[in-house]
Amino acid sequence: MRFTKSRWLAATSAAVFALAGFAAQAATPRYGGTLHVKLRASSVSLDPREWMTGSLSSAAGEKLASLVYDRLVTLDDHAKFQPGLATEWSHDATARNWQFKLRSGVRFSDGSLLNPSDAVVSLQIALGKGFEVVAIENGVAIRAAHPAPDLLEQLASGRNFVFRPLPDGTLLGTGPFFVAESIVAAPSEVNPAAIKPARIKFQANEGAWSGRPFVDFVEVALGEPPLRQLLDLQVGKADITEIAPDLVRKGRQEGLRIWNSAPRTLVALRFDDALDAPASDQLREALWLALDRDTMANVLLQREAQPADSLLPQWLSGYAFLFESAMNLQRARELRAAFPAGVPGATQPLRLRVDASGDLFKLMGERVAVNARQANLLVQVALPGSVSNSSAAATGLHLFAWHYDSLSSRTELEAFVKQLLEGGDLPANTTDPEQLCAQERRLLDERRILPLVLLPEYAGIRANVHNWNASPWGDWRLADVWLDSEDPMTTKAPAGPQKNTSTARSPGARP
Amino acid sequence: MQSLGKTCGKVSSKNLLFPWALILIAVLAVICCVSSPVAADGDAALRETAQRLAERVAAIPGLHGALRLEWHPDAAWPGGESEPWIRVIRDEFERRALNLTGDASAPALDVFAAETPTHLVLTARIRVSDHDEIRIVSIPRASLPPGASPAAPIRLERQMIYESPDLILDAASLENNGEGSLVLLLYKNFELVALRVDAKGVVKQSVSLNAANLKPSRDPRAEILPRGNMVLVELPGKACEFSWESPVVLKCRAEKPAWRAETQLTSPCDGSDWKLFSSSSEPNAKDVLQVVPDGALRESSAAVLSEFPGPILNTNGEQDPSSALVIAQNLRTGNYEVYKITLACGN
Repeated sequence: MRFTKSRWLAATSAAVFALAGFAAQAATPRYGGTLHVKLRASSVSLDPREWMTGSLSSAAGEKLASLVYDRLVTLDDHAKFQPGLATEWSHDATARNWQFKLRSGVRFSDGSLLNPSDAVVSLQIALGKGFEVVAIENGVAIRAAHPAPDLLEQLASGRNFVFRPLPDGTLLGTGPFFVAESIVAAPSEVNPAAIKPARIKFQANEGAWSGRPFVDFVEVALGEPPLRQLLDLQVGKADITEIAPDLVRKGRQEGLRIWNSAPRTLVALRFDDALDAPASDQLREALWLALDRDTMANVLLQREAQPADSLLPQWLSGYAFLFESAMNLQRARELRAAFPAGVPGATQPLRLRVDASGDLFKLMGERVAVNARQANLLVQVALPGSVSNSSAAATGLHLFAWHYDSLSSRTELEAFVKQLLEGGDLPANTTDPEQLCAQERRLLDERRILPLVLLPEYAGIRANVHNWNASPWGDWRLADVWLDSEDPMTTKAPAGPQKNTSTARSPGARP
Repeated sequence: MQSLGKTCGKVSSKNLLFPWALILIAVLAVICCVSSPVAADGDAALRETAQRLAERVAAIPGLHGALRLEWHPDAAWPGGESEPWIRVIRDEFERRALNLTGDASAPALDVFAAETPTHLVLTARIRVSDHDEIRIVSIPRASLPPGASPAAPIRLERQMIYESPDLILDAASLENNGEGSLVLLLYKNFELVALRVDAKGVVKQSVSLNAANLKPSRDPRAEILPRGNMVLVELPGKACEFSWESPVVLKCRAEKPAWRAETQLTSPCDGSDWKLFSSSSEPNAKDVLQVVPDGALRESSAAVLSEFPGPILNTNGEQDPSSALVIAQNLRTGNYEVYKITLACGN
């Protein structure tokens, strides 16, 4: 096999962004302190094997997992792949056969050495059937069933972390932190009617190959409602919080420091496959023409979202601007008028099940119903957990949120089809953007998926947080963050009495 | 950088038959390629991408007549980077007998440029009879030449003298070893490397300082002090010394580092002292270098300002007291750059 060395990259990891300023003039990074983070998700799995592609909960898991595990490569903000656990890589002319040399001397948080078989076990699961991962001297070889020129994009994103599963189910990582404590949600000692949120406490890994992180601990509180997060940020009870898109404007008006990523979440409608064609074709087309995406993005979401016309966002595909979804109520009404008898949405309401949880998605579902009504279509919204939202009653339409996991547009499109479009054409095994664009156009023309809006990820950052240098695609890079000074909040005892809380060893914890 | 690449090509074709020349060629080739592979490859990559797009457009059935080329870069596209693309694309289209015109009434051949995290995507769209024909090509952004640094208006004379994709921790001018020669400390793959480069930016010598056992760090700090043929490297908790003549011998001793004091410039006009300040310590913000009269507060009205294309990481004085070296990261390219700044009268 002949290998062409594609890249011997000089390594300057994301860590370099944490540089001190020159001489004594600029602020010097400070080690120590506890970074308090609050997230909406009520529970998070740090086990990449449990993540469901495209789900919002796996997005939160990925964000926290990057504290504990490393990837073979990372992507910097200048489109350059940087060495992670792999220091060198190469591939043959077909881009089907890749070799990665592992960094020597890397240790897991329990002190044991990383070896090629760890990478094989982790990556074989993450990459799936189309790839064969085998250990070679000092590294791993990855053989793809089809050319994979986008393998680095895949390895630098999603669930492609390297870890070591222990017999008790714990996963060990080589990352800058390890899980020191994990506490599940429990009734408050003071007020048993109130629930204390789940917490995960990450501790700095002193022996991290990429250098010790600046903060000693990252304490993550889960299940915090959006408004509560905003208030906690304002009063100094949190250093970093997620901010719901509909609260961003309020946060800005109150002078908060707010960061946003490129759009990471697609909110869209999906028709049930049970609907009969060809009658349902007219229904799909009519609803597509009735949707007012601009109002959803600009009024409902206060310009903190973008109208979506495509499955992949422009920042990921580069060609999304070619798709247009012009609202045309007149044409929608004409189609509705020509509906044959028995088509849902005419005399019988079309049931819209809101699969994503949260007030924002409920509002969007209601907006869809309003748009439909303008075209004389009957849509009835069913919320998660309601009787009418049970699977038996939920034929018709779904409102769902899809989180973009991969930095490879081909992989993302493939995952989208596999997960949401049963029987849909998988993208050709090519990374050629023209073919991917044609594939996406075919999928959109079927009108089984109707994109609505694209949501960026927003975070509020307290003024004491320095070196915030998150990637445009949403990697928070918390190991590079440092805190201004110790404050009373960060020095208080981390855990209350254990009486009413159950402490669980979380995946990634040091045994 | 472009000319270095061309030199490599010329030498190898003319002296192929002479063994001694071959050795020389090999040495020169290594120097050429080590010092400037990016631009030479990058220019070729740019042209190859334009060729692929032009070939695909030229193959569209039913395409005839004069076309008006319209360039649509996405919002984040730096203005200075459009010109070479337009030139090369026009060139490649015309080579394939596509008739381009400036006539506003001619049908538009729209070319869109967009960046993804890893690729540059070029999309051509043209109306043929009653439908749009779309052709798309992409190229890894890392294979393209870095964009031109923004030419900030400067009141302080400033010249970029070296750039590297590797983190530059410190730079110092060599005292008596030829004008413009530099020594640099690089943090490369979590290891420390000292470089000696000549005035053209060609690496003359590279010394690994692994033996110093620098602990991997997120805020690596080190300073380099050339002393004749010896080099002193200050590190957290230790100082190491080596000679360019026998670089394998690295002597380290534990000591509290004597980090150098703030960099000062002396005005060539009245001999007054000026101090350097940077505007930001954040890693993703462009920095403004403020040169302020000694004793005045930063941001004083007398400050001389110069904007850099990213955060300023370090500064060091020069033998000429009116000059200093400034190390900055270019946020556009990700490269690390060494600038020589000079305080000039009357500017």
